[in-house]
Amino acid sequence: MANRHGNRSLPASLAGTAALLVLLLLPLLVRDEYYLHVLIGSLYFAYMASAWNVVSGYTGQLSLGHSALSGIGGYLSTLLFINTGLSPWIGMVIGAACASAVGVLIGWPCFRLRGPYFALTTIAFAEILRIWTENTEEILGIELRGAQGLSVPLKGHSPALFQFQSKLPYYYIVIAMLVAVMAITWWMERSRLGFYLKAIRADQDGAEALGINSTRTVLAAMALSSFLTALGGSFYAQYFRYINPERNMGLDLSIEMALMGIVGGQGTVWGPVLGACLLTPAGEISRATLGGKFPGLHLVMYGLVLVLAVLFLPKGLIHPIRRLAGRRAGRQVGKRACPA
Amino acid sequence: MPLLEVRGIRKAFGGLQAVKHLDFTVEPGEILGIIGPNGAGKTTVFNMIAGYFPPDAGEIIFKGEAIAGMRPWEVSRRKIARTFQLARPFGDLTVLENVMVGGFLHQGSREAARQKAEAVLRFVGMSPQADVEAHTLTVVDRKRLELARCLATDPELLLLDEVVAGATPAEASAMMDLIRKIRDNGVTILMVEHVMRVIMGLSHRVLVLHHGETIAVGEPQAVSRDPAVLKAYLGERYGQA
Repeated sequence: MANRHGNRSLPASLAGTAALLVLLLLPLLVRDEYYLHVLIGSLYFAYMASAWNVVSGYTGQLSLGHSALSGIGGYLSTLLFINTGLSPWIGMVIGAACASAVGVLIGWPCFRLRGPYFALTTIAFAEILRIWTENTEEILGIELRGAQGLSVPLKGHSPALFQFQSKLPYYYIVIAMLVAVMAITWWMERSRLGFYLKAIRADQDGAEALGINSTRTVLAAMALSSFLTALGGSFYAQYFRYINPERNMGLDLSIEMALMGIVGGQGTVWGPVLGACLLTPAGEISRATLGGKFPGLHLVMYGLVLVLAVLFLPKGLIHPIRRLAGRRAGRQVGKRACPA
Repeated sequence: MPLLEVRGIRKAFGGLQAVKHLDFTVEPGEILGIIGPNGAGKTTVFNMIAGYFPPDAGEIIFKGEAIAGMRPWEVSRRKIARTFQLARPFGDLTVLENVMVGGFLHQGSREAARQKAEAVLRFVGMSPQADVEAHTLTVVDRKRLELARCLATDPELLLLDEVVAGATPAEASAMMDLIRKIRDNGVTILMVEHVMRVIMGLSHRVLVLHHGETIAVGEPQAVSRDPAVLKAYLGERYGQA
């Protein structure tokens, strides 16, 4: 039994180590800032989709408002930096803790109900937060600057303040964040929490009959997911040195996080990463080549990809890959039951 | 002292009185069978004991503690486990992982939960299927898996809702042996069943429900000869056949 899980994770960990090595060495080959930017973007989205996956992928409760949590993270770390000079390294943890609390408050009434309430509530909350921020110039003497957004004050090369001259440090930071979120997901999947989440996703009544407090379990995942998402929002703010409501808490970002998770394969460690690594460059290329002529075409493409994925690979792109890897390693995936 | 005591419970769904007024006790170590025509309120009684909805009135006492109105997981943690009429395994998980979900209730670590699950699978005879994905199981194996999941939570009282439905006579006999084995290990059993051979063969006592009320209770042989039972339940069925 033990080597069954060993077999399953061996190809994945080998592939992971190889991918990590390639990523770490890639900047030696890629000198062009633009390509580095696309790489950072892909890794950032891989991180965000993975953070979304912690709650939506493992519980089946679709969130279409995760951008609100990203916005809370990005705005709080930036506002704390502007107004108190607090390093964004610390500010991002404070922002993440607040986002965690907000995530629990959104989830608490919804997870007690069944049905699409959570998806609807997350959209509504994120949109209300975005519209409010866009229309608020200042609150309690703190400048929010509405739709214009906030610039992170330039301090030159200052690692302690999460500011660097070149893109390279951001590249390594986002790799570290992605590895961390994947490790957390991997650990969670194997822990009691992961088992409970998957049980609730499959059959909530059945899970509760085995002593699982489903509301509390899903809220724990929501708190974790919110925390991680907000850290991503702060990273975004530091990387671009600028945040605005549309980009950092808009519906687009929420949809992209969910889309990458769903297309890649929700409820798996690698699925959201795969989804992000395919869709981000695809979106970037279509925007760069066709963006001028057909604004919004990348959104049409996203829609098309989602339809195709749901039709042909409802478990995500990762599923056939896993089956193949499992077969190579001698594991019988989806082995038929022998009639007793 | 009875293990479970149900006192005057009542439940209505809108204008329908599913359970009108019900008293019964379950003694430690016994198998109590509940029978009754469709709609007699059998599953409603289970749902109230297991915390899926509270009774409108009455008390449910388990080991001296009032449990009416508790949530399902609170009831489960007090060592009452239940199966469902329609067994739905956690489909994405393997058979072993399904049972581990139950094992985690009283085992802290993943390793301990896995050992617990393996022991339970050996007990119910499903070890060869441990690595099979649960959604590929037959209906009867799903029922066995559900039973295994329950056993992994170390129950003292097991509520079985039609565990032999859909089984062939041979499979039903195997399930009966398993239920006896569970009882012999010290688990008290309250079961709802339609198959007469099973309920009469296993139960120490049988309780007959009709329109949400008890019409007879006692030893299987005595109950099966009770005129009220013949009229309300057996008579109705056999009359149509």
